[in-house]
Amino acid sequence: MFDLTLPEELVLLQDQVRQFSATVLGARHREFEAAGAVADPVRAEYAALGLAGMELPESLTGAGLGTQAKAVVLEELGAADPGAALALDALGPALYPLAELGGEAALARYALPLLEATAARALVVWGDSERPGRLCPLIQGSRATGTLPWVPAAKADLLVILDTQGAAVIESGFRLTPVKGSGLRAAGAAELVLENAPLSAHWENPAGAARALARWRLYTAALLTGLMRTAAETSREYALQRVAFGKPIAHHQALAFLIADMHSAVDASRILVQEAAWRADTGLPFADAAATAFVEAAEAGMFVAPNALQIFGGQGFMQDLPLEKYLREARTLALMAGGIDLARDLAGAAVADCAAGFALSPLRAEDA
Amino acid sequence: MDFAIDPHTARRLAAFDDLGREQMRPLGLEADRLGRPIPPDHPYFQTLIDLGFGRTRWRPTQEAADKTTGAPVGNSRATLLLSEQLSYWDRGVAVSAPGPGLGEGAIIAMGTADQKQRYLTPFLHPDKPRWGAFAMTEPGAGSDVAAIQTRAIRDGKNWILIGNKSFSGNSSRADFILVWATVDPSLGRAGHRAFLVEHGMPGLQDFHVERKMGLKAYESTSFRLEECRVPGANLLGGEDHYAHRAGFKGAMDTFNSTRPLVAAMAVGIGRAALDEAIGFARAQDITGDPRIRDRLERVARKLRAARLLSLKAAWLADHRQPNIIEASMAKALAPTAAFEAASLGMELLGVVGARGDHLIEKLFRDVKAMDIVEGTGQIQRVIMARKLVGLPHG
Repeated sequence: MFDLTLPEELVLLQDQVRQFSATVLGARHREFEAAGAVADPVRAEYAALGLAGMELPESLTGAGLGTQAKAVVLEELGAADPGAALALDALGPALYPLAELGGEAALARYALPLLEATAARALVVWGDSERPGRLCPLIQGSRATGTLPWVPAAKADLLVILDTQGAAVIESGFRLTPVKGSGLRAAGAAELVLENAPLSAHWENPAGAARALARWRLYTAALLTGLMRTAAETSREYALQRVAFGKPIAHHQALAFLIADMHSAVDASRILVQEAAWRADTGLPFADAAATAFVEAAEAGMFVAPNALQIFGGQGFMQDLPLEKYLREARTLALMAGGIDLARDLAGAAVADCAAGFALSPLRAEDA
Repeated sequence: MDFAIDPHTARRLAAFDDLGREQMRPLGLEADRLGRPIPPDHPYFQTLIDLGFGRTRWRPTQEAADKTTGAPVGNSRATLLLSEQLSYWDRGVAVSAPGPGLGEGAIIAMGTADQKQRYLTPFLHPDKPRWGAFAMTEPGAGSDVAAIQTRAIRDGKNWILIGNKSFSGNSSRADFILVWATVDPSLGRAGHRAFLVEHGMPGLQDFHVERKMGLKAYESTSFRLEECRVPGANLLGGEDHYAHRAGFKGAMDTFNSTRPLVAAMAVGIGRAALDEAIGFARAQDITGDPRIRDRLERVARKLRAARLLSLKAAWLADHRQPNIIEASMAKALAPTAAFEAASLGMELLGVVGARGDHLIEKLFRDVKAMDIVEGTGQIQRVIMARKLVGLPHG
């Protein structure tokens, strides 16, 4: 029966990551942003947390933790610095196409070496199979060509192209040219150009690709949840300090209601992520739930982050405070994993085409 | 974490399908068409009794155990899912159902052994439909329950109640009404007392069944307490209870556990509207339109989040953890999500909805009440803001 209790080991993990985020990442996020990278000593501290292989199976020296655990970790990291979270996670969401389409053999071949290297990064990019080649890589035969205007990385050791039909792995034949980047600069920012890059592997498997994309969406939605939690909390605390017209601005009802709604938006995003992650871990269909969670988190991010800045007024616009950074990062995160409209398409189809009388029934047709 | 519904609850939900489709929906539409509540002698109510509904969750033998463990351990989550499912079929018909009513929780929590015996025993194995009712709202006090004006004046061993009550569900047909009054309006919540007022007590009079926009299957009734004399034994909890406890707490306990429930009812109405809207859109072959799909997606997503947040609030209650913010959050979000579902349904229907005889049109009228009862959406935000930023009272 419905129960949100986290297992004891996950509570411990959450506490550890929260501590790391608050004391290490949060304190230095402007420095990471300026450098477009996370400093080496911070990498060492992150490595000590043992999160790198948390989702890998135990047979591959991983911790075998699931999507729910990953969502807990990502919310905590995203609460401090989602760009740094990407920079620190060597496999990142590129893990999912490797795992869902290539299986353990692909993980052993492509993922494990990255975990042994220093500051390695695997990148996953969305290849729009509806409009191939438009602002995304074009796969022709055993090679890929094209330009992606932005990726959240300064360098990549492995590239995975994911589209609706499957995924391809690329190890060479591409280059990254630095760009300024809008948000998530701590992860680096570059234009990606592929010139006849050879495919090291190419898997056709639409169902596996859908699961990989769903997990990428959850990854992003969990980061967004953390980010907006911080934005909401920071602005709530400020609204209690700042006095206007004789009382704390939080006690003007226009702001009191806004703060309540921002708090609700964070909780709604989190619980949709949790449900979808639970479905993934339980072996139930989860692509629709993950798309729903991503759309909600993306929209909520665009509600919470700009209003958090708004509560700070002119100060929020200044780069002395992190509010403007939260806004850029929320905007950028919501552009990832193929973007919000692609997720809306999937979630909308799930509703419009569901079995009669089963739209949102507690007993869903797919489970019955 | 677990988001599954246990098999036992799942079976109970599914058990309502036939009753819902064959009786509740048609009865709701009929009451709506006729513009009056389902009469108390309608065979549907006897059917409910025969099926085992209309009973109290109180058990005389539980008393001893409760004394040692506090209030009985609830399963708010299962209750909440059942409420959602009943509202999916017809919220108005669901509320019309016989049973001890909204006051049951307060009687179990606060009532003396004798009061539970007298007022809940008839609901253990009822031979016929019986109702209990709850009366808090007044013409001048809705969401702000602390502002009730109905006076309770001690007169020897008795109490005299004077005042007006509004929108009390099922009260004209109820065996008893749990009436909230104040011994001194200047005391606010601390002055509140609840009384078990029996049908037929002199001074309980002028029942007026209101005409409503929707939810017509159950009666929302206003009545007057014209120097209504109530025996001292009918003061809920007895004198001792108020000697060492704030009088208001009983009412607030009821509200805290019912907000998620009302949120779930809204989700049920919203789901019904969504299902009907999809069915209609499919018949018109317009579900392929990306504009329509986007709107269906949004409505389904908001309802899904509202359901999960309602369950979260109930889960917290089941674990005796503070749930004030979460209960208000669910109550604030679910009715607007459900309203959006019904309103989208009307848009898809187009002028078919304007005819005034489609189920979605009825749901559109029904659902608005959900943002009002148990504290309006605005009051929920006030409550949340008190917790989040210490928004001052008043």
